[in-house]
Amino acid sequence: MDMHFQHLYEVLSHVKGFIYPNEIELSWSILIVQYPYITGLVAGAFILASLERVFKVKVLGPTYNIALLTALAFLMVATMPLISHLGKPQRAYEIMTTPHSTSAMAIFGFVYLWYLMVVLLLEIWFDNRRDMILWSQKSTGFKRFLYRAFTLYSNDISPRSVALDDKIGYIITIVGIPSAFLLHGYVGFIFGSVKANPWWSTVLMPVIFLFSAMVSGIALVMFLYMVISRLRKVKVDMACLDTIAKYLFYILILDFTLEALDQIHRIYEAEESFEILSLLVSGKLYITLIIFQVFMGMLIPLFTLGLFQFYKPSEKIRRITYLLISMLVLFGIFWMRWNVVIGGQLFSKSFYGFTDFKIGLIGSEGYLMAALWFVVPFLILAFLLWLLPPWKKHPLEEPVSAE
Amino acid sequence: MTFAVVIALFLGVRYLLVPKSFGEYGHYRGLALAENADRPLHYSTSANCARCHEDIFGDKSKGHHAGLSCEGCHGPAGKHVLFSDSTHTIKLADSLILKRDSTRQFCAVCHEKNAARIKILFDTINKSVVKVVEEKKHNHLFDKETHKLLNCIECHNPHDP
Amino acid sequence: MRKPMDKSSRRTFLKSGLVLAGGVVASGLLKPFNAVVLAGDKPKGEGPWYGIGIDIEKCIGCGRCAKSCKLENNVPMEPFYFRSWVEQYTIKKDGEVTIVSPNGGIDGFKQTVPDNEIFKSFFVPKMCNHCYKSPCVQVCPVGATFVSPEGVVLVDPNYCIGCRYCVQACPYGCRFLNPEKNVADKCTFCYHRLQKGMSPACFANCPTKARIYGNLRDKSSELVSFIKNHTCMVLKPNLNTGSKLFYNALSMEVR
Ligand code: HEC
Ligand code: HEC
Ligand code: HEC
Ligand code: HEC
Repeated sequence: MDMHFQHLYEVLSHVKGFIYPNEIELSWSILIVQYPYITGLVAGAFILASLERVFKVKVLGPTYNIALLTALAFLMVATMPLISHLGKPQRAYEIMTTPHSTSAMAIFGFVYLWYLMVVLLLEIWFDNRRDMILWSQKSTGFKRFLYRAFTLYSNDISPRSVALDDKIGYIITIVGIPSAFLLHGYVGFIFGSVKANPWWSTVLMPVIFLFSAMVSGIALVMFLYMVISRLRKVKVDMACLDTIAKYLFYILILDFTLEALDQIHRIYEAEESFEILSLLVSGKLYITLIIFQVFMGMLIPLFTLGLFQFYKPSEKIRRITYLLISMLVLFGIFWMRWNVVIGGQLFSKSFYGFTDFKIGLIGSEGYLMAALWFVVPFLILAFLLWLLPPWKKHPLEEPVSAE
Repeated sequence: MTFAVVIALFLGVRYLLVPKSFGEYGHYRGLALAENADRPLHYSTSANCARCHEDIFGDKSKGHHAGLSCEGCHGPAGKHVLFSDSTHTIKLADSLILKRDSTRQFCAVCHEKNAARIKILFDTINKSVVKVVEEKKHNHLFDKETHKLLNCIECHNPHDP
Repeated sequence: MRKPMDKSSRRTFLKSGLVLAGGVVASGLLKPFNAVVLAGDKPKGEGPWYGIGIDIEKCIGCGRCAKSCKLENNVPMEPFYFRSWVEQYTIKKDGEVTIVSPNGGIDGFKQTVPDNEIFKSFFVPKMCNHCYKSPCVQVCPVGATFVSPEGVVLVDPNYCIGCRYCVQACPYGCRFLNPEKNVADKCTFCYHRLQKGMSPACFANCPTKARIYGNLRDKSSELVSFIKNHTCMVLKPNLNTGSKLFYNALSMEVR
């Protein structure tokens, strides 16, 4: 406690202008930056998968399963930063038992469960049911037990039931697309509906969140696909990468347009809060917004990917560029979340000054906690890839040895 | 079947987890009203002081400080009011608030000269709610024996200044 | 021994599972649309419905309100947590606005701008506005903050999950996370005093009667005549929060 106060006294000495006394401490810190970032990755990865499934972009085949498993891995931890940031984590269940109908945050529990249980888990289950049955026959021990348990001890792989799996999976993906939109648009709404905060309060917020989610999710899958291929020592499918890059490019354009529109609108309307916001952007957020988010995370990828649409250098150069671009985009979107969440709290709601933000290493809101929630999804993903390796799936034509 | 079971389960768990008084008056725990109302008092009211300190109370109510509450200067006296009698005394919790020899700072909280206290409007003193002095100038004298600054209460009776 | 589950039973299981999940979600989703916004009308009722009036012309910035509030409600003494505080606005002749609130005004104010540069200067006491279209109540996900039948916005510290969404939603900066209890904290209008017929600490200890409170439903109350006889303003009226804290002589610089 004393350390906490000491930290706040230090922040107090960095306050510029006038802020309300209760605003010195930021209420939402690094963990709440992570939360929209992670849910964004989920929604984006899922939408990439649905491109293959629903919109029949077959070149994306190699990334389909990776995308789904990535979405699942990240969705499983999506709530963890939220819960660990609560003042009273043990009371988190109340959001399900007595959701407040007027609160934008209250239906989070339901949206999340819907997405996790109904969309992702079921979809992955239907996609892999047949393979799990086949794998269970080949494996032993614990792994076999897992497969058996996950397939509900059924081994029905008759063509009819496999066809049914496929059909249900298809329907779920169709349901999944609006759900992914809902999940992330809704996260944007949590911020966009706070009328007290002019930096957040814009109708475009859910849409911007959605498109930046797609951008980051696609970049993540692109990145993971290259890394996984590298680890498995197989050649990446260049046609697939090029297509992902193309979609990334299109969505980047949309995202950029929307964000630019939002800012232009703000500048042109120049409301009461305009002065403080322009000071914010040119001061406290200069590096994270102008340099990290816009220049590195947006303009460089846009320019490079745009160039590749006309001029295609050799495969090797493209591969390396794609790797770099996907990392840049992931980096840029992280700072975009940062600029929204932290940026929105740096200026006073009196519009007369700024507080300061520094996070510590330890503590429930420190770097370590945040790092934990960044590492765990990758561990989960590794586990999922071990359990359901997409590259070991059985093509439908392959004759299946009956028991 | 399964459908009904799980719904029932959810409702059952919900029934157990939602506090009984929830929703009594609105979307909140009805009991929270009573809990908020039952918190202990720290401050009493000036009227209560009159019972035992009628002299001071009387002094004050005819002087310039009549509008001030006793506890505004002396600090919370809720317990003092309840338990002080000739046999059994509870000292005021706040000797931390008002120390006899810190009145130069204390009185200044209200009386220090400040533009906002004298309402300068167009360069003229337009209106004054409270008389102000400059603590650094007003009788900034040293006591001949103790060589400390003269306290405001050496000359002014705080209860009837 | 593997017992193949028969197809139809698996299908019914899945089907009912889907329906169930859909049902739960639908019931969760549909309800909010009945009342997405807080009612725009003033609540009807018989009992008192409290409001506050603050006369900026009378405030001498002594900070007794802030101090007594902290002592009465066990608010941590550190200068980052206030349920009630005082700000000093100084408008210079060149139009520049300087605002200070050292320790919420508890230790008194030191004039920061020399007399000859001042155009005008005044104190503004701040506290919870006890809005009736309160944004903080609107956003609480679990119903841990609410408007009492007396029109007082309260927090239920035994139910709050500490998500701080309400802190973000309050346009007036009147909420904070209590560092000891880890739940949201705010002015309770001294609900415990009010219910015992005593005035809230900040009102009781104001030396100049710069702040008054009263029943807005009683048209003969002191507060109603205060509002009637002065040109009163609420803070940030553009946000339509239904603030019940009325300031007399509020300058446009105040936010
Ligand atoms: C029940 C009777 C009673 C009431 C009511 C009462 N007091 Fe006292 N008070 C006493 C007695 C007896 C003493 C003397 C105690 C001593 O000298 O130790 C005293 C002493 C004091 C002192 C001397 C400072 C000290 O603690 O040494 C102050 C100041 C004081 N009271 C303030 C108040 C105020 C303010 C109120 C009203 C909120 C109040 N009292 C109400 C009985 C009372
Ligand atoms: C302006 C601030 C102020 C107010 C208002 C005030 N007091 Fe005091 N009071 C003082 C100070 C300063 C002293 C110390 C004076 C001294 O020791 O001579 C004091 C001393 C006392 C004492 C101790 C007297 C003694 O002779 O030792 C009592 C009892 C007391 N006050 C009661 C009250 C009561 C009752 C009220 C309300 C009716 C009240 N005070 C209001 C400032 C105040
Ligand atoms: C809580 C604020 C407050 C404190 C503390 C306070 N006063 Fe006052 N005082 C007032 C107010 C308000 C008035 C004017 C009341 C009126 O006349 O309407 C006043 C009036 C006076 C006056 C009379 C001025 C005149 O009109 O001639 C004197 C002298 C005075 N106070 C001295 C003191 C001293 C000495 C102290 C410290 C023990 C003190 N005050 C502490 C608020 C305070
Ligand atoms: C040496 C005795 C003495 C001391 C110490 C003293 N005063 Fe005075 N004060 C006086 C006298 C005498 C007057 C009336 C004559 C005057 O206006 O100067 C007065 C007047 C005042 C007035 C009214 C001013 C006006 O404009 O009418 C205030 C307010 C006041 N004093 C506050 C204080 C405060 C606060 C302190 C402590 C910082 C203090 N005094 C210390 C003797 C004293």
